Amino acid sequence: MSENNADTGALEAPTHWTSLEELARTPEFEAFASAEFPTAWEEARHSEAGRRDFLKLMGASLGLAGLSNACVRQPDEKIVPYVKMPEELVPGKPLEFASAVERGGYGTGVLVETHTYRPTHLRGNPEHPDSRGGLHPQAQAGVLDVWDPDRSRQIRRRGNVSTWDSFVREMNEVIANLSEQNGAGLRFLTGQTSSPTLLRTFEAIRQRMPEARWHIWEPVSRHHMYEGARRAFGRYLEVRYRLDRASVVFDLDADFMGAMPGAIRHQAEVLRTRNNQDFDRWCRLYVAEPTPTVGGSAADHRLRIRSGEAGALLAAVARALGLEVPRPKASVDGAFATAVARDLAAAGRGAVVVVGDAQPPEVHALAHAIHAHLGAAGHAVVTTEPVLAPVVDPMQSLRDLVSAMNAGEVETLIMLDRNPVYDAPADLEFGKALSKVPNRVHVGAHTDETADVSHWHIPSHSAFEMWGDVRSTDGTATIMQPTLRPLHDTHSPLAVLSIFSGENEGTDYDRVRKTWKERLKGDFEKTWRRALHDGTVPDTAFRVRQPKLDPKVLKGAPPPGPDGLEVRFVPDPNLWDGRFATNPWLLELPQPITKLSWDNAVLVSPSTAEKQGLEATDVVELRVEDRMVEAPIWVLPGMADDVATVHLGWGRRSAGPVGSGQGFDAYAVRSSQRPWNTAGKLKKTDRKKRLACTQDHFRMMDRGLIRAATTDHYASHPQFAHAREAHLPKLTLWKPWSYEGHKWGMTINLSACNGCNACVAACQSENNIPVVGKEQVAKGREMHWIRVDRYYSGPVEDPVLTHQPVTCMMCENAPCETVCPVNATVHGPEGLNQMVYNRCVGTRYCSNNCPYKVRRFNFHLYADWYEESLKGQRNPDVTVRGRGVMEKCTYCVQRINRATIQARVEGKKRIETDSIQTACQEACPSRAISFGDLNDPDADVARKQKTPLSYALLGELNTRPRTTYLARLFHRNDELPVPTPARQTESHGDAAGKGGTHGSH
Amino acid sequence: MAQIFPRSANAVFRATVMGVIGLVAATVALAYGIHGGGYFTRQDLIRHQPVPFSHRHHVESMGIDCRYCHWLAEESHFAGIPPTHTCMGCHSQIWAESPMLKPVRDSYESGEPLVWNRVHDLPDFVYFNHSIHVAKGMGCATCHGRVDEMALVWQENTLHMAWCLDCHRNPEKYVRPKDQIYNMAWNPTAREQAELGPKLVEAYDIQTQDHCYTCHR
Amino acid sequence: MGPTEPASTGGYVAPARVVGSSESLESVTTKIGDIPLSPRLDKLWLLGLLGAFGLLQLLFLSIAWLVTQGTGVWGLNIPVGWGFAIVNFVWWIGIGHAGTLISAILLLLKQEWRMAIARFSEAMTIFAVACAGLFPILHTGRPWLAYWLLPYPNTMGMWPQFRSPLMWDVFAVSTYATISVVFWYVGLIPDLATLRDRAKNRGAQWLYGLLSLGWRGSGRHWHRYEVASLVLAGLATPLVVSVHTIVSFDFAMSVIPGWHTTVFPPYFVAGAVYSGFAMVLTLILPFRWYYGLENIITERHVQNCAKVMLATGLIVAYGYGMEVFIAWYSGVQFEWFMVTNRMGGPYAEYYWALILCNVITPQFLWSRYFRTNVWALWMLTIVVNIGMWLERFVIVVTSLHRDFLPSSWDMYQPTFWDWGMYLGTFGLFFTLLFLFIRVLPAIAMFEIRMLVPDNAAKGPKE
Repeated sequence: MSENNADTGALEAPTHWTSLEELARTPEFEAFASAEFPTAWEEARHSEAGRRDFLKLMGASLGLAGLSNACVRQPDEKIVPYVKMPEELVPGKPLEFASAVERGGYGTGVLVETHTYRPTHLRGNPEHPDSRGGLHPQAQAGVLDVWDPDRSRQIRRRGNVSTWDSFVREMNEVIANLSEQNGAGLRFLTGQTSSPTLLRTFEAIRQRMPEARWHIWEPVSRHHMYEGARRAFGRYLEVRYRLDRASVVFDLDADFMGAMPGAIRHQAEVLRTRNNQDFDRWCRLYVAEPTPTVGGSAADHRLRIRSGEAGALLAAVARALGLEVPRPKASVDGAFATAVARDLAAAGRGAVVVVGDAQPPEVHALAHAIHAHLGAAGHAVVTTEPVLAPVVDPMQSLRDLVSAMNAGEVETLIMLDRNPVYDAPADLEFGKALSKVPNRVHVGAHTDETADVSHWHIPSHSAFEMWGDVRSTDGTATIMQPTLRPLHDTHSPLAVLSIFSGENEGTDYDRVRKTWKERLKGDFEKTWRRALHDGTVPDTAFRVRQPKLDPKVLKGAPPPGPDGLEVRFVPDPNLWDGRFATNPWLLELPQPITKLSWDNAVLVSPSTAEKQGLEATDVVELRVEDRMVEAPIWVLPGMADDVATVHLGWGRRSAGPVGSGQGFDAYAVRSSQRPWNTAGKLKKTDRKKRLACTQDHFRMMDRGLIRAATTDHYASHPQFAHAREAHLPKLTLWKPWSYEGHKWGMTINLSACNGCNACVAACQSENNIPVVGKEQVAKGREMHWIRVDRYYSGPVEDPVLTHQPVTCMMCENAPCETVCPVNATVHGPEGLNQMVYNRCVGTRYCSNNCPYKVRRFNFHLYADWYEESLKGQRNPDVTVRGRGVMEKCTYCVQRINRATIQARVEGKKRIETDSIQTACQEACPSRAISFGDLNDPDADVARKQKTPLSYALLGELNTRPRTTYLARLFHRNDELPVPTPARQTESHGDAAGKGGTHGSH
Repeated sequence: MAQIFPRSANAVFRATVMGVIGLVAATVALAYGIHGGGYFTRQDLIRHQPVPFSHRHHVESMGIDCRYCHWLAEESHFAGIPPTHTCMGCHSQIWAESPMLKPVRDSYESGEPLVWNRVHDLPDFVYFNHSIHVAKGMGCATCHGRVDEMALVWQENTLHMAWCLDCHRNPEKYVRPKDQIYNMAWNPTAREQAELGPKLVEAYDIQTQDHCYTCHR
Repeated sequence: MGPTEPASTGGYVAPARVVGSSESLESVTTKIGDIPLSPRLDKLWLLGLLGAFGLLQLLFLSIAWLVTQGTGVWGLNIPVGWGFAIVNFVWWIGIGHAGTLISAILLLLKQEWRMAIARFSEAMTIFAVACAGLFPILHTGRPWLAYWLLPYPNTMGMWPQFRSPLMWDVFAVSTYATISVVFWYVGLIPDLATLRDRAKNRGAQWLYGLLSLGWRGSGRHWHRYEVASLVLAGLATPLVVSVHTIVSFDFAMSVIPGWHTTVFPPYFVAGAVYSGFAMVLTLILPFRWYYGLENIITERHVQNCAKVMLATGLIVAYGYGMEVFIAWYSGVQFEWFMVTNRMGGPYAEYYWALILCNVITPQFLWSRYFRTNVWALWMLTIVVNIGMWLERFVIVVTSLHRDFLPSSWDMYQPTFWDWGMYLGTFGLFFTLLFLFIRVLPAIAMFEIRMLVPDNAAKGPKE
């Protein structure tokens, strides 16, 4: 039952408290249980939209906030110069540092933009193998965590403020007491890691206390990938896909552009080629998956399957390839299998089967067999030493820990950046077991569920306050360097471990350097500085190991999937396993496919919903084995039938005022036996839940919004994108303006866009875009300057998904401009449609008159004017908007101005070709967005807009938009039935749109 | 029946009508005066500082160039306020004991920065950039006035948007040769400026940037 | 006793008299003049005033909440950036049309029947415009900066944007308000003098004395009065047309399907007059009943108003028809979708309700029975008032909530504060109206007196 999860919520079930019972009545205990928040924050936590609403009220209490520039006298301001100027710093100019952000043990290289050392914005490190300059939202949002006002700020012992020294003292006592038993009873719990320094430290601990145990827990682990490799090659190996060498890619329930480590690289390698029209180099993408993913959106052919059927499908493919594998029991789409097989065979060494981490090892092993058979092994699919070390099955490791705790063998448990009380499978009853441990230490950035029931809580640094190291999927190491001193009394996990390793003198800096001194050859200082500068440590990528395939793998048949309704547990595209649930950007970011914001839901296909008599926003009891959780339904076209997909990471109970209580907790029904997919039931209740969805309608109404065709059709009809354009006389009342100088424009390539949201997150960070909270989103007041529209075409059960990022179109005949009574939105000489916040009185006429509805209005004081710590993140080159003004995409004018001024100061007439990148363009892993000067023939955007694929959205209105789209091309396999291209048929999928923002009527 | 109003009522009435009209006019005028005037703009308001730093002394008497302390004027939007070290560069030798300079020495020793009162303060939604103005031949004195003659600095101009636009729309009225930018005393006659201005605008390729995104984003 | 009719011959029925035959110069003056002058406060009036005053407090509350919290307290969103505020604005302005039309245009057309209802409907106009005027200012995100819409020399070196219809609104509405007030006041002067002379207590004498600006009714006074009112009528007449034309531009000048329509100006003006006369009847029927003025506001007036309603109602109906026809005829898919969405979309019931109220109901006015039966007519006018409000709601909301890109479609749901503002303006309107009835002569006594003699001459003696 769901109560199990509440076991350790200290207040809910005090009976489980043995060691702390006597505390239960003392005020300390109250403080202990209910974190450090002042009561106001407690209220905020309970209000649906968390801190946003709370602050909105604060704003109200401050009356006419936003009365910024009427007749108000400027406040007195101070100037505080440095005492001693750091030589590399030029106040007023941003400074970038190379570092990395880590998830599940893998690092993605980033460049941290700082203003006087305040990290304000991230961009992918072009030099880094797993970034290539792209950056996904989770990494992007990392910059906000530094400034998160809900971060844990002080060390606490049993809920009382304590100090680092007393912690060290107590830990040393622990070590002393355990010394004669060689550390038995001391246990560590960490996530999967690739950090050489961390490994070195653990090695030191092992030397010192051989009996101490290190457990690893990762709710979303890759162990099946390793296990599959072991079955195939007899040893654990890292599998890496070289999709730049692939010509056919078969994604088998892998979400290889989303959840899978290396996603950004995968996306870059597959989709960047789609920016040139050399179709032979396009790799054909087959995707077989239960739930639409970003990868599935970019697929040339997409097949809906249950996760349980993946093995059977792959077996069928293997057989079609002539491999001797047992005939699959489950029935599969034979036509698809044979077509894929034939295509893979044709691709030979360029053939890749990407198997999802959730698939059983047998399937991974079978994929290896196929690769070996086709000669792709070692070419398009390579295996190296494991990046994550040591390779252990996190599930088993956690099981061992729990049984040890229940057996009372654990005296001190050190939990580093882990939150098992929340994210351990329900059947392990981790909380209950934990309460038997006399001394629990939690190290983490927030006072989360686990911190609430730990004796010690040590706040940990944010990513940009500490030294560390991490490896990418190909082993390349990155030194993580801080850009500023810790803002609060926080400490790194490494520092905590060092107490036990005996390396506690010195700092993390020394420890990391020590690690690399041992490893780097040649002039250390030189290499070290270069590594810091580049963001990658030279030649640390792992060498390819290609052992012989064990033929036995062909014998092993994958286990059959569950019968009846298959319940799938997948990491949330935004919150992952829940660790990001404190980040308002990620909470509000509309999910790539469902467009849900501030919530997760049970996703089912329209026909499944029909069969079960459910419709969107119905609350159901999701029952798995003897456990149950209540959750809302969301009907999602493109889902496989009889599948219910739930996203992990929601329903946090102690994630600060913002994250707590958003969505439902899928861990409550997750079991350690079948953590990925299992049989379950949905029981309808008579309740509905209001869900905030940013897009309720996804029919194109035959309006030619997204234009698409197959590459062949394009070859024969190059003008297809304009075939149905009405040729009306293009009249205008105003004198046309000739743009002599620069003429800014943007083009978005729909073939390369998979709707990953990278652009949205990057824009939010670059342009100080506020978070508005669930209530406001539900009312249709989200503030994102760039939104990704998602449309379906074809049959509702099996539609084709296409995504269309919509920015301000910068219309040359802008409807918004002529209607503004105060000239607050006007046209610039370079064609920018300029929005001037300080002149805006907020009639909203411009937004009404905008055919693209890209304008956003501050209905309340959305920007947080009062939270000091958030001010650190703001981009000083962009105005923070007040209440009652309109805002919209500016093509990142602050970057244009910086470049313009720079060029003109240097006496140049023009800005160099493509030297300006907008935030969205920069972040896009597949380079789908081009921005630049349309007057410059060499500019990428100019060249793209000249191709016949380029079309204007709603061009017939004669708004003359500067942002155009490149029609989507499908690189289809003729053997397979062609799903009709987007603009020809209509899906009738509005069913799934019912409810949504207006689910309440 | 008896008259309700005495004869004088007419006069009173007329006076009242006039009075009301006058009052309204006066109120409007007052509003203009206050909003446009020194109270809001802080024009000509002498600002006291933690250290009574005299520009007159340092520029006029010592002949120190503006860029010695405001070293960023040519490369950043921010002209730069000297770090304590810059002050101590000289004042560790001269006036090393002066009580006036105690805050500076304290800052130097304690590492606590000096906190100056901002004199020229544009609203936060205005993005002014020194480097481009300097590069295009705008002299310091054009906006800041004769700082070299100010003991304590005050704001010479209104800093009203209209004031900015005046120059942004007719730069030739204010542009000066680049070698005169830091010359506080540069003061051409109207005729000189009239013939020099257009030439310089041409020479420096000055564009009349009066669209909103020039300063607002 | 009511007016007696001449024997009717054939189907023809002679129109009822403009003033009941029994009325004399004296009776007219007392009947009308005693309403403001009577010393006693009657319960019903007081009750009405208090009710209205209560609603007025709701208006103040709503405004306070709005200004401290932001426009977010309303149900607005993107795409529906305009909601109740603009609907109410257009509705009130429309109601404000009857007054000027009656007093100005009918004056120029020398329509005697205007005299009895002119002042009342002018007052109504002014109060309606006062209500309307609140919304354009308060619906902005930063009302305290609304003065930026005025072209005045400023420290920013900026002008407002003269291409914007909202800009034109500022002038249209303010001019209209000014002229209406002046016209109304000038018309009041002779009667104020009458009240001054009839008033018993000093206070009243002072008040009316001041307001009547020393009017003594000399020939010179009357002559100037005639000239003035003619000039003002001349000025006001084009305004009747211009104001709602320009209000309609707020929509017609946009690109939004359902707004971008050339038929808007005439059809908005017609709609305005339609709703204006409806409101006149809604208010004047109870008024004349309560103060027993059936002889002064006779069946003739009521019937004529009803006929104007019928005529304008038909023009409005034509407007609806044209919207649909052009949407189809243009062959623009967005236009046609807008129509189908209005008729079958989530707001369909509002659209059909509006058709019922504004197109079907007025057809009853073809029948003399409905024009003369006070109760039926009164109900009918209320229905029309509601219908005209619905019309504006349909135009504003259904056009916006589903425009070009389906991805940004959304719904609009009014909140408590939307209603608060709307009902609140009723408070303002009726507070002013009740005070007007009690303090000023609601009917132009001197004009009615002009009618009496010739009325007496023509009419059969009893």
